[in-house]
Amino acid sequence: MKIKVIAFGYIADILGKDVLELEGISNTDMLKSKLYAKYPNLKRREYKIAVNQQIISEDISLDENSEVVLLPPFAGG
Amino acid sequence: MSSQKKKNKVFIEGAINPVFIADSIAKHSSKTGIGAHTIFLGQVRNDVIDGKTVQAIEYSAYNEMAEKEFHKIREDAFAKYELTCMHIYHSLGKVKAGEINMYVFVSSRHRNDAFSACREIIEQIKTNVPIWGKEILDDDTYVWKQNL
Repeated sequence: MKIKVIAFGYIADILGKDVLELEGISNTDMLKSKLYAKYPNLKRREYKIAVNQQIISEDISLDENSEVVLLPPFAGG
Repeated sequence: MSSQKKKNKVFIEGAINPVFIADSIAKHSSKTGIGAHTIFLGQVRNDVIDGKTVQAIEYSAYNEMAEKEFHKIREDAFAKYELTCMHIYHSLGKVKAGEINMYVFVSSRHRNDAFSACREIIEQIKTNVPIWGKEILDDDTYVWKQNL
């Protein structure tokens, strides 16, 4: 299963792109480990994961329709 | 575009023009139940970071979620305070130092509700809305803005 991940701010800088497609991911914990393996710098940076525009606080399952977004700390205003 | 949708449009491309602000104040003269307006304007500051000066901030947002959050902030403010109307505008894209990047306009019968709501709305925008700012420095490098 393919998951599309969108990144903003400094997270996109670390990933080197705004959109990422990852295979074989079925929940957010798996997503995190895959990201940390690929981008070790990410582990030291603060960010949140939003799934379908809702910030998650625990592991949740994902499918190919999930809107997965990596959000660094907000800086509006 | 329906008028309802137009009314809720928060994001403005580039800086917010002071003439737009003046016009929006003028439009409220027909709402004669209003006794107090509070206006907050955010302006891009020329911070010095490691000896380099901020020339501009380039704003980006996760639009779909930002719109939801703005809507919630609006609903919460109307539920908690006695407000006649409120408007929130925030820039996207590049805004130069000295230009306006945020405009919050709250109107009420009396000053207390207008002041309290305005303050709360600004704090909620800073905390809850997925917006980021790339601070562009005078050597064309950048750093990501952090809210204190």
